[in-house]
Amino acid sequence: MAITTSRDTHVPHGGPAGATRYYVVWILLLVGTVLTFLTSRIHLPSPWHLLLAMAIATGKSALVVLFFMHLWDHPGANRVVFGTSLVFVALLIGLVLLDNATRFVLTNPGHRGTLQMEPPGPDILTPRGWPEPSRRLDMPEAGEPGHSAPAPSGEGRQ
Amino acid sequence: MQSEGYVAHHFPNLAQQEHAARLGMWLFLTTEILLFTGLFTAYAVYRFLFPEAFAEASHLLSAPLGTVNTVVLITSSLTVALAYHFARHGAGRTAGLLLLATLAFAAAFLVIKGFEWTHDIHEGLLPGRYFIYPEFHAVGGPMFFTLYFLMTGLHGIHVVIGMAVLAVIAVQCFRGAYDHGYTTPVELGGMYWHLVDLVWIFLYPLLYLI
Amino acid sequence: MSQSLASTPPPPGELVPAYNTRNYLNAESGILSWLLTRDHKRIGIMYLVATTVSFFLGGVFAMLIRIELLTPGPTIMSAMTYNRMFTLHGVVMIFLFMIPAIPGAFGNFFIPIMVGAKDVAFPKLNLLSFYLYLLGAAIALYGMIHGGADTGWTFYTPYSTTTVTKVVPILLGAFVLGFSSILTGLNFIVTAHTLRAPGLTWMRMPLFVWSIYATSIIQILATPVLGITLLLVAVEHAFGFGVFDPARGGDPILFQHLFWFYSHPAVYIMVLPGMAVISEVIQTAARQTIFGYRAVAFSSLGIAFVGFFTWGHHLFTSGQSTLDAGIFGVLSMFVGIFTAIKVFNWTATLYKGAVKFTTPFAYVCGFLFFLVFGGLTGIALATVSLDVHWQDTYFIVAHFHFIMVGGTIMAWLAGLHYWWPKLFGRTYSDAWGLVSATFIILGFNATFIPQFLLGNYGMPRRYYSYPERFWALNVASTAGASLLAFGFLIILVYLLISLKHGRLSGPNPWNSRGYEWETLSPPPVENFLENPVFRRAPHDYTADGSGGASGDGPEVKHAV
Repeated sequence: MAITTSRDTHVPHGGPAGATRYYVVWILLLVGTVLTFLTSRIHLPSPWHLLLAMAIATGKSALVVLFFMHLWDHPGANRVVFGTSLVFVALLIGLVLLDNATRFVLTNPGHRGTLQMEPPGPDILTPRGWPEPSRRLDMPEAGEPGHSAPAPSGEGRQ
Repeated sequence: MQSEGYVAHHFPNLAQQEHAARLGMWLFLTTEILLFTGLFTAYAVYRFLFPEAFAEASHLLSAPLGTVNTVVLITSSLTVALAYHFARHGAGRTAGLLLLATLAFAAAFLVIKGFEWTHDIHEGLLPGRYFIYPEFHAVGGPMFFTLYFLMTGLHGIHVVIGMAVLAVIAVQCFRGAYDHGYTTPVELGGMYWHLVDLVWIFLYPLLYLI
Repeated sequence: MSQSLASTPPPPGELVPAYNTRNYLNAESGILSWLLTRDHKRIGIMYLVATTVSFFLGGVFAMLIRIELLTPGPTIMSAMTYNRMFTLHGVVMIFLFMIPAIPGAFGNFFIPIMVGAKDVAFPKLNLLSFYLYLLGAAIALYGMIHGGADTGWTFYTPYSTTTVTKVVPILLGAFVLGFSSILTGLNFIVTAHTLRAPGLTWMRMPLFVWSIYATSIIQILATPVLGITLLLVAVEHAFGFGVFDPARGGDPILFQHLFWFYSHPAVYIMVLPGMAVISEVIQTAARQTIFGYRAVAFSSLGIAFVGFFTWGHHLFTSGQSTLDAGIFGVLSMFVGIFTAIKVFNWTATLYKGAVKFTTPFAYVCGFLFFLVFGGLTGIALATVSLDVHWQDTYFIVAHFHFIMVGGTIMAWLAGLHYWWPKLFGRTYSDAWGLVSATFIILGFNATFIPQFLLGNYGMPRRYYSYPERFWALNVASTAGASLLAFGFLIILVYLLISLKHGRLSGPNPWNSRGYEWETLSPPPVENFLENPVFRRAPHDYTADGSGGASGDGPEVKHAV
């Protein structure tokens, strides 16, 4: 609205001593941190450990956003903006993860299944045979230490 | 200068200008959230693909140090929120001192992070093709550290930017620039700092704990 | 509360001057007064100049592409050079022209005037956004001079992370341009929320502002994701970290997901401002208020949001899961509903209107025709099974050029010709305007209809050579492109001539009831001579001011 309304103006709570709410939030945040640390040591079964950690993180974030960033005091456009951003975070992560989760298993990178599988037999190879491994133009030859994916080789495949 | 002197010519009054500044800052923070979301998406995808490797690699990080850093950052959020509170009540000097405290905490965060990074580099726990940790063979290991360095690196850049912004605001606080009702920079600087804290609240469990 | 005004009103009783002699152009002189200006109007003019220069640069790349495609084999360049040509054509046209042009030039100039404000919410940020535009352009130009990239403007991994060409400067240039885009969008959203003059409710806001507002939402939400994605590619190119490298457990499709999460909404960043202009021009041209104001206003928001749910249709043949492909296919069809709403409402606005066939209206006609056809082919492409045939062929190229050129660029031309008198106080020759519009519309058809056919017959895109059976259609397409280029050059000539020799236009040469026509031409620095109060809907052509569809009270008082 072009005309300012009183609800837009942040009225500080109490006087300088009205900072109590900030200390309370701080304590709660520390409690949340300790909680998240301790529950991670319990080794809950997957996926609960992830969900619990995310729930605690969400709770802590809510405290920061609502009270440190004053969203509790400022209804209106600011809340819509923040809420909308969360929707799109969920959209991006959700649909991308859904893709990897529902793909044909061999098209996912580094899949355990792929790494341990026997290569397909000669009946599905093209008449030209096994394709050459592609070379990276800016990197030294394969063989750097620590690289644990098996390098493709053409021997023994015919 | 009275607070009305801080109103730009195209705004009718200070309250409207503050409202606009706040909305603008929330929009900017939205862009920062979406910026980090790209990295969180990569993390989600690779965690889904390499769950055990990620869990194992995460143990190679120091959870106690991560927890200390979390406490440091949360406390810095408290001090910056208090700084705005006191600025709003005309106590510019107190606000400035609190901002200095925030900067101290931020510096501590960076020091601890630097210590962690140095340790990881020594151990060979480096991103991508530089990963040379001998005992770790799963495919997802280097990917975990790639994401670790990228995410904490981007976060660290934001910490540095936040520190610069808060330092400037702190100087202005001591000069008394915010004692007359115009406290918008303190509020906006604080909001940026809270975002830095928010991102870390999510980075901490995802990288260190699970 | 009234602020003191920089310009004094004319003495009472004096007629409104045909040319406002104390306007934003001559208020201050000297190069620094332009380079350090905070006046949204001057920033808008600077954007206009910069984006038009970029447009011509992108057009040069386009002509080089079309010349190369005149013969089946190599014509004037090697394959590697051709790859750089289409990459740079895409990068320049999209990041340096299509995204910033209408919001940067017309949005900056008119949004404050249309909401009754003296400037945008953050004038200094506005200037910063322009300088970021220049910086991003400079970085990208540096990359272009040193050979440019050959990855296509889509920078797909793993090629973009392994190519030897100068892809990093182009990526960093696009990154900086993204921030320019974000700041522009941020400014417009806050302006619409906080600087509307008394009496201007949301439902009285001009539709131009609604569509630019929707564009700004997309800019805020989508551009950062592009930023981080391009940064990741640059980092991987420079350091080989392997986020997208399959040999290191990375997923190249992840890049495509992240890239298109921005780039599909980006096409709506490109087309919504075009729709914004058309909404304004069509109401003036028909001398009727828009049919279905709310539908058009909210459909802009609909396009903005639903456009985010559709990015996977760029990955139909890339290897994403079938489930995701199905979901994205269905969602992609939904977004067409909102465009259809707009098209029906615009057409209904013309019904029983008193249309005068001027140059802006010629471009509106072109826009409607080409947007509908381009959009329909888009719905066809949203069908996964059809896309399997058309993906990476010239069908796709023709589809998006129909919307981008036939849609947005026609709208840009419409806006340029519609608002030229307001920007500079002078009119151009309408005869030459219609001549060039004819060249452009005919040239456009000749360029891109053959490309639909080529794509359907199977000619792949981004190939510098093709089998002989595609020769004739390619020649036709190049001929059309030459006609297009000729049309644009004519426009440049007569518009520049009009700056010096054009007839003075007066404040309202179109007799429009749009809000921006209520102030002087060119506008004064403070936009208005008195603080505006809005008491009627925009484009209210009813005689008693009751407003027809969106009437608000009987009292008619013009702003100013």
